[in-house]
Amino acid sequence: MAKRGGFSRKSSASEEIPSSSMADIAFLLLIFFMVSTVFRKERDQPIEWVTAEATEKIDEKRKNILHLWVDPEGQVFINDQLVPYESIAGVVRPLYSENRNLVVAVRGDRDVPYSQINAITEQLKQSGAVRVTFATRVEQRVQRARR
Amino acid sequence: MPILERKERVSDEIPTASMADIAFLLLVFFLTTTVFNEEKGLPIVLPEAEQEEVDVSAKNLIFFLVQPDGSVVVRRGESEQEQVVSSSQIEDLLRAELAANENLIAAIKTAPTAAYRHMVDVLDEVKLAGAERISLQILE
Repeated sequence: MAKRGGFSRKSSASEEIPSSSMADIAFLLLIFFMVSTVFRKERDQPIEWVTAEATEKIDEKRKNILHLWVDPEGQVFINDQLVPYESIAGVVRPLYSENRNLVVAVRGDRDVPYSQINAITEQLKQSGAVRVTFATRVEQRVQRARR
Repeated sequence: MPILERKERVSDEIPTASMADIAFLLLVFFLTTTVFNEEKGLPIVLPEAEQEEVDVSAKNLIFFLVQPDGSVVVRRGESEQEQVVSSSQIEDLLRAELAANENLIAAIKTAPTAAYRHMVDVLDEVKLAGAERISLQILE
């Protein structure tokens, strides 16, 4: 550019995308995801899962699902608390009245006698929480043939 | 004076140019290693406690009686005859029955001493057959 006059206007805009703040952006994202992650409060009970081929994905928000564990000894745990059979309805009823969309996921050990499961479903009927899923693992065809 | 002058140029700042790469790498690592535990299972809706009893005509009922050893006896509502089936046969059997009568209710009666997995096996087959109306009962 030919120099004309006393002042030459230099464009100070850089051609490159400014990358100095990229680190800040990335760390911001990282921290955002770290802070917004919700961890499950519950502890897993050691059970052997039942398997089923018709296993469906339960499309329900996590806060609408109540886990009910039945361990191999037939003890029932709700929210890490050991609950006697007679008081399941009493425990579930307030939770259900708080959240009408509640789905109770029964996570039972495969060798628990059915009378226990029946007692649980009877209690759930009384509490009004009638939407139940029997939590299962997906069964493969190969496994099936062996059975 | 030599023509080539060696300049010792060590910056006294921490290099921040690769900081973005490091941060994104961490971000991508955590994104990919996160496992969502999705809820899986066999959904069923229980009857409500205060619901009045509905009379179902016997021809709309098919019973699956799960014995303590896991064998299954099929009893059709109106007939007294019983048929022992293996749990893998239930799907085809019920599918045929449902094709003949779409109002059919599959009632799973499980013996109190039968293991939970036997009940789930039968429920699995009933679900696979596409039954919409399922009833869970205990075998007395």
